[in-house]
Formats: sequence, C-alpha cells, structure tokens
Amino acid sequence: MKKLSFIGMIAGLMVFFGSCDKNNEKGEESTSGKVIIQFEHYADGAPLVYDSMMYVNEAGNHYEVTEIQWFISDIVLKNKDGDTLLLDKDDFAHYVDTNLPDTWVWEIQDDIPATEYQSISMTFGIKGEKNKPYMFTDPPESDMLWPYPLGGDEGGYHYMKLNGFWVNTNNERQPFNFHLGVGQERDGEGNIIGFIQNWFESELPSSAFTLSDSETKVITIRMDVENWWKDPNTYDHNIHGSKVMQNQEAMRMGCENGRNVFSIGSITTKPVP
Amino acid sequence: MERIIFILKIFPLAGLLVLASCNPQSVNEENPEPEPFSPTPYEFPDIPYFPKNFNIPDDNPMTVEGVELGRYLFYDGRISGNTDKDMLMSCSTCHIQAHGFEVGINHPKFKGGKTFGLPTPEYPEGKPTPNFMMPLVNTVYNHNGYLWNGFVNESNDALGNPHYGVPAREPYNYKNIESLVWMAITAPHEMNSTVDRAVAAIAAVPMYREKFKAAFGTEEVTFERISKAIAQFVRSIISYNSKFHKYLRHEAQLTEQEQRGYDLFFSEDADCFHCHGGSVLMTTNEFFNNAKDSVFDPDEHDRHWVTGDPMDIGAYRAPSLLNIELTAPYMHDGRFKNLDEVIDFYSGGLVYSDYVHPLMKNVRQKGVQLSDEDKMALKSFLFTLTDYELINDPAYSCPPELKEWSGQVNY
Repeated sequence: MKKLSFIGMIAGLMVFFGSCDKNNEKGEESTSGKVIIQFEHYADGAPLVYDSMMYVNEAGNHYEVTEIQWFISDIVLKNKDGDTLLLDKDDFAHYVDTNLPDTWVWEIQDDIPATEYQSISMTFGIKGEKNKPYMFTDPPESDMLWPYPLGGDEGGYHYMKLNGFWVNTNNERQPFNFHLGVGQERDGEGNIIGFIQNWFESELPSSAFTLSDSETKVITIRMDVENWWKDPNTYDHNIHGSKVMQNQEAMRMGCENGRNVFSIGSITTKPVP
Repeated sequence: MERIIFILKIFPLAGLLVLASCNPQSVNEENPEPEPFSPTPYEFPDIPYFPKNFNIPDDNPMTVEGVELGRYLFYDGRISGNTDKDMLMSCSTCHIQAHGFEVGINHPKFKGGKTFGLPTPEYPEGKPTPNFMMPLVNTVYNHNGYLWNGFVNESNDALGNPHYGVPAREPYNYKNIESLVWMAITAPHEMNSTVDRAVAAIAAVPMYREKFKAAFGTEEVTFERISKAIAQFVRSIISYNSKFHKYLRHEAQLTEQEQRGYDLFFSEDADCFHCHGGSVLMTTNEFFNNAKDSVFDPDEHDRHWVTGDPMDIGAYRAPSLLNIELTAPYMHDGRFKNLDEVIDFYSGGLVYSDYVHPLMKNVRQKGVQLSDEDKMALKSFLFTLTDYELINDPAYSCPPELKEWSGQVNY
C-alpha cells in the first residue's frame, strides 16, 4: 500500500510539473475571448442626421433629433445549448450619449467562454431592483437621474432622453422630450399611488456568433429611431405633446414599440494588432 | 552614464549639477542636504451622493499647505500689483464668501452686481466686466470647462493674450482654474495689472516666504506658484451642507411648502432639474439656450463662440443653483434682479428662437405656467439650497492679518 502511495505521489508530481512545463512553453492557455459593443443610431435606414427636420414618423409628424442619451444594461449571451451568461463583471450598465463619442463603445470586461452563441439580449434602461437613485455620483450618468417624486426608490435613472423637435398642428417647430423611465400609477384625482417599471429586455435578431479562443468580437448595436413611434403603437407627438415623464400611457406605448428599435448592425472580429 | 553624457551635451550646467550630486564629497557643512519636502495631502470629505471624480490637474496636487497659501493669496489685494490701499483688488473683492463667492446684488460699489476693473486712463471708473459672475463653489467637480461658455477647458491649446500683454507661452494657457488667475490679474475689466507686478508685490510681503516654502518647498515666489495655490484654494471650496443636501441625507425635513417646491423642481411641472441637474451639484455644467431671446448678436461669451455650432447660438452654462438666494442678479447678463423674476420668466416669459434647446419644451406655451402658489413653493425650495455652513466656514474666510489688504468693501 505504501508502495502504491509512493508511486501515486511520484505520478502526481510528474503530472503537476508536466503541466507547469506545458504552460511555460505555450503561455497561459485561453479558452475565452472578449466582446466590445459599439452603438450606432439610425433613422430610415441610414445614419441619423441631427438637427435636421428631414424625417417623418408613422403618424405623419415631421421631426428632427437633437440628441439621444440612454442606458443599456444586462447583456446576456445564450449559447447553443440554451445556457445564458450575464455579462456584468465590472459594469452591468452602460451610458450612451450621442454628444459624447467616448460613450459609443462599451468594452465588456468579462472573460467570455469561447463557443457558439445563438443570441444576444439586452435590457433597455435599468431593471428596477438595480435602478437606485444616486447610485451614479459622477456626470454624465448622474445627470440622468429620474427624480424621486416620479419614480420613488426604484426610479433611479432615465432609461432614455431623446430630445428633438416636431412640426405641430400650428405648423410650428416645437420641442419634444421623449424621456422614458419609471411611470406613475395614479388615482382618480391624479395622486401617485404606485410606480410602474417600463424597462424591457430585447433579444436582438440575427445576433448569433461564434467566439474563438483569445478572440475579440466587435458587436454593433443599432438603434432605429423611427421605430420608437410605430409598431405596435402609432405614436403621435401632436397627441402626447412635448413631455411624457408623467404620462405613463405615452411611455407604455413607446416602450412597447421599443422591442423593435434595437438590432445588430454588424458582428466582426477585432484584428489582432 | 550615457544619460549623464547626454545631459552634459545638452545642458552643461545641469550636467555639472548631476555630476556634483553624484559626488558625496560635494555635500559639506556649507551646503547641507535640503530638508525633505513633504507637504500634507489635502483630502476632501467623503460626502454621500457627491461626485468621486475630482478635476485636479496632475501637476498641481492639492496639499493642506497649498490650499492655505491659496487662501491668503485669494484674499490679498496686493496680487493686483498695487500697494495703495485705494487701488487694491483681490479675488475676494468680487468673490465674496457671504454671497456664495459671488458679488451679490447689493454691493455698495458694484451696483446691481455689475462688476468692473480697476481704473485706467481709458476707464477712470473701471472697465465693466462683460458678463455677470458665476458661482465659485464645487468647481473641483466640474469637468466641462469654465466660464459661461466653457472657453477655458482642458482641450484649449491657446496661449497668452497679446491684448493683455501676456506672452504666448506656458503657464499662460486657457485650460483650468490656474488659467483664470492670470486672466483675472491682467484683464482690464478685472485687476488690470501684469503678472510681473503681481509677483513682485507678493514677493515683497515677508510672511509669504514661509508659506511658499511650506507649499512648494522653497521660498521662491513665481507666478506659476501663485496661480497653483489660488487654484487649490478655489477647488477646496465645496458646498454640501444646504438644507436640501441634509434632506437627501435624512438629516433634515422640508416644510410642506418646501416639499411642494421640491416636487415641482424635480418633475416636469416646473422642470428645473433637466438643466440644473438631478445631481447634488444642482447643475449639469452643460450649455443651453434657455429661450431668453429671439434675436442674437454675435457674443464671444456664448457657447457658439467656442464650438462654432449654430445650435449653440445664445447658449450659456446652466449655473449651479446652490446658494442661489445669495447670488442675484441672475443669467449671464444679470437681467433678472431676484428669484421672483426668474420664476416668472420660466413660468410665462419664454420666447422661441430656432436656437432654443429642446429641453425648453414649454417654449410654445411661453413656459411651465405655474400658479402663484406654486411659484411661492418653488422659491421656498430654492431657499433650501443656501449653504450657511459654507458662507460661515473659517476655512474659506479672510485671514485676519489680510483684512486691510483684501480689497474688499466692508458693508
């Protein structure tokens, strides 16, 4: 028995040192890769042109977009076996601002297993249980605060500020703030009696990809702006007006339409330098 | 060794110093080793909900000694290069602690809050300052440039100002608070002096030798050190103890009227928060055309002058509303004398232009249309933004020995 133990110990040491030699020769083995997410904003099938009254939504409103500021969170990958992986190593949420190019790229910090993935899903905005007021202390994220009177303890931050102008029924150029976040449930007298979470998950169509060892995939997520105002709901600025933060019906329509807003622009492999 | 040879070729004197320093024999009793210079790092309090990202240049880390020197220089009117007590002007001449470090509207000299520079032959009464003042609190949290248009910012590569007789070389850049010091000293509408006169006047004051040594390691007075010390002091001025802040920290309760004002402010009913920040700073530090005018003359102090973007015509920084009760008049041109006028403007005085920012979404209705009761409630809430601890904090006040030199007007 002692002999067997001795042989076993020798064998174990050989395996141990052998594995060390192998690592030394090949360097650290990798069975994972990285993902970088980029963001682009489109309207009518082309890159969005800002500050130009050149678009017409489904309701017939002529409109222009000045800026879009929004949160994406909880990126989830589903592999070919149907298992899901939440990417949240450092940041579960990312702020995108069309005025700030630095925000147009989100470098995911997770080491992602190298395998086939059948889909990517995302959360528009931030889920209520994570969306806490004042959790972001520094701008620009902190400037997205969804005020306590309108969202309570799980109001947290705007999901999106989409600011622009439309031509109203008086043929005037009028500002709109299409701001989405937590809605209010009100009684017959208009008093707030509860809050309604409007965030939604979106499984991005045609988002399958294969990640190889030590590879970095660059995934571009596209927002098609005109889709905020159609399918299934035709959203009319002349009906909902300039502001919607205290209009749950308008926010509900927008968020239902939002399921069709996001798509994959491209998935490419980042060249090895 | 190669490095030493290289230094000898480029800087013979420096090379000699390097070689001398390599020789332990060169350190003798007549030239003892310099005392180690180890100032005390300045630490900000950890304030709930406040930003954690400070805007402090790498080449000017804050120290207790630097901030203290900066406080003295901030309050010393001799920095204007003058020693005649009738001609003194310091930073504190206009940036008055009791007014949240603005001049206020009731100043006996700067009537209506309109400031002007020291007298010149051309302007015997002093050249008027082009714009009204901005708050000088919580600047350490601002990463979006300074002044009403953000012209002074980290990406600005301009140097000097020939009109002010300032050469186009470092440290006379337009990047940060340090830059604002030389601009204030040399601008005809402010101290109307020169950096050389400022340095000479400060260097002639014996008490500063020890303070410069404590802050920077030697007694030498340079303009760069002056600007760095004042910038350190200005960055140390933080406002976080208003009733509003204490309310957020569950240390105070709002009255019913203040709470109504809070609800108006932080909703689309009054819709103040989108520009003045959901953050505890009460500003986004962003720039907006807030529908004051429909016609715009070219203005080198608006945001358009910096960006060239037509959408920035008539846009100015949304200032912090902290201590707003103390800082009248309001807007970049001081057009509103009190908070009632400001609230009336946002309630029913907006005017449309093609350059209005879309956050001014009620512009077609001329404003948010508040009732008289709501206007009172909103003003009541704005009063909760006054930080009485800030305006009484000895750490920010005039050192007693500088009272007669501060260039402040007692009233």
